[in-house]
Amino acid sequence: MTWVVWRQYRAQGAIAAVLLAALAAAVLVDGFQIASHWHSILVACAGNKACLQQQPTLVNGVVSDLPYLCLIVPVVLGMLWGAPLVAHELESRTSDFAWAQSVTRTHWLAVKTGWLLLAAAACGGVVAALTTWWSGPVNAMTAGAFAPGQFDTQGIVPIGYAVFAMALGIAAGAVARRSLPAIAVVLGGFIGVRLLISDLLRPHYLAAVTTYYTVGGSFTPPGQAWVFSQGAVSGTGVVVPAGWGDLYPALQPVCQRLIGSTPASGKSGSMSAVFSCMQAHGWRGFATYQPAYRYWPFQGIETGIYLLLAAALIAVTFVIVRRRDA
Amino acid sequence: MNTAIDTRDLSKRYRRVSALTNCTVTVPEGRVCALIGPNGAGKTTLLRLLAGLASPTGGTASVLGGAPRQDPAFLAGIGFLAQEIPLYRRFTPADHIQIGAHMNPRWDASFVRTRLTELRIPLDQRVGTLSGGQRAQVALALTLAKRPRLLLLDEPVAALDPLARRNFLATLTSAVADAEGGLTVVLSSHLVTDLERVCDHVILLTGSQVQLSGDIDTLLAEHKVLIGPRKDTAPIARAHTVVQTVTTPRQSTLLVRLNGPVIDPDYQAEDVNFEELVLAYMGAGEASAGRRLTTVGDGS
Repeated sequence: MTWVVWRQYRAQGAIAAVLLAALAAAVLVDGFQIASHWHSILVACAGNKACLQQQPTLVNGVVSDLPYLCLIVPVVLGMLWGAPLVAHELESRTSDFAWAQSVTRTHWLAVKTGWLLLAAAACGGVVAALTTWWSGPVNAMTAGAFAPGQFDTQGIVPIGYAVFAMALGIAAGAVARRSLPAIAVVLGGFIGVRLLISDLLRPHYLAAVTTYYTVGGSFTPPGQAWVFSQGAVSGTGVVVPAGWGDLYPALQPVCQRLIGSTPASGKSGSMSAVFSCMQAHGWRGFATYQPAYRYWPFQGIETGIYLLLAAALIAVTFVIVRRRDA
Repeated sequence: MNTAIDTRDLSKRYRRVSALTNCTVTVPEGRVCALIGPNGAGKTTLLRLLAGLASPTGGTASVLGGAPRQDPAFLAGIGFLAQEIPLYRRFTPADHIQIGAHMNPRWDASFVRTRLTELRIPLDQRVGTLSGGQRAQVALALTLAKRPRLLLLDEPVAALDPLARRNFLATLTSAVADAEGGLTVVLSSHLVTDLERVCDHVILLTGSQVQLSGDIDTLLAEHKVLIGPRKDTAPIARAHTVVQTVTTPRQSTLLVRLNGPVIDPDYQAEDVNFEELVLAYMGAGEASAGRRLTTVGDGS
């Protein structure tokens, strides 16, 4: 059966390999240029953080869209390879040839889906590895490992997305029995699931950490943490985000008077008095965030979620192909 | 003699439409069985049920000694060729030969090559560029290369010109002869004369139901055309089964299945030929289907 899969997909596989090789070449050339540029910036700024932040963006040119490519590769694979896997055989009636040989439908499906999921994982992995390597200087400069567009395009999650998109295509094709509607389902379903998970689920993979600190002091979560909120909380539990505008009305009158008639008129000399007053009334600074060391656990959890979804979709496909009349 | 196919009340419903109703037929091993019926009679449904490509909603089927199932040993025994001649249009016959070799335990690749070379069909040209007749020949040769014990062919000659049809049937007949009784064939078609040449067994379906089934010679011996003066046919109908009655002002022509000798000396008994027999049963089936139509639907 493996030979049959090879025969059916060798042309498409060759095209994919050529495209990936071309991409790799472009990324390597561009990546080394960015790296040397970054190195010269580092030397010029010599550890001065403000200097680093004033630098123009590191990336320009065609390859700058690499992260977007990383986002669309999975869904393209799902649409072009996944959706037709069962659907096209049914559409062109070649299922009557394939399923009339001495190979059970289960076996046929297992070998085909197995290789295609593997191919999806490989493509997703290669693009993710290239993007991760290429993004090194950008990551260092923007310091936002959890930022959308950075978390989603690097590490191992793109592999999960690719496997999921492929499985979605295969399952949609088996249900719809026609390629075109299945392709539409992949496009809509993949985007929907990705938005849903990244917006609603991802922040809660692990309970966020809240660190309290002396009000008026400064605290920055170490490394490239994912900060949800930062501000001050009173002894009675009133939470105010950072910034005087919100803080002033929440303050006890005693402390308000120390600031003066308008919140903006606080002088630095009187600030410490305000902070002391706040401390006396139980105010603390807080920061709620996902610590930087959770980057890989989060990558693992998200990849796991997508692999589980893929497994469920493949299970559905097997039930349909086995049970439903050809 | 072993039976290749044995069904009991085999039925298939698609939602509200009945595609096959209580089909009970037996085909002994080594037979070439004609599966005849108008479009939508259930021929394709029966073949797909026998091949295990569809599952019945009622009744049972025993094919080569067991229920049709997803099992390599069962599948290896069945050669199924669907009406649409399913082949990968972008692949060559040679590709198909290799695919078959990788998907079947017994695979006679040299048979296909020899057969296609004899027919001057190029092995290295995409199937999509071959003519309909050539495609059908490729598909039949591939189906035979499995060395099946039961060959299920769904209207394989429908789209072919007379010469291609003759070639196709010649391939089939020689395969049956080569197998020396080890190959059973069920061949559906509505080209009765073609079938008569190659078949020795018949199943006739109309409106999803079996109207007639059995050994062709036996059936021909059991049926007679009775020609006599126009008079009450009730006495004949009591003694025999009247399949078809044609009356003119002066005479009656009855096609009957005999249950004994015809006693009435007014009638002259004549032998019936295969085509007359088939058409009579088809007509009778259509008439009864017409009466049921209001409740069942057309079954197509």
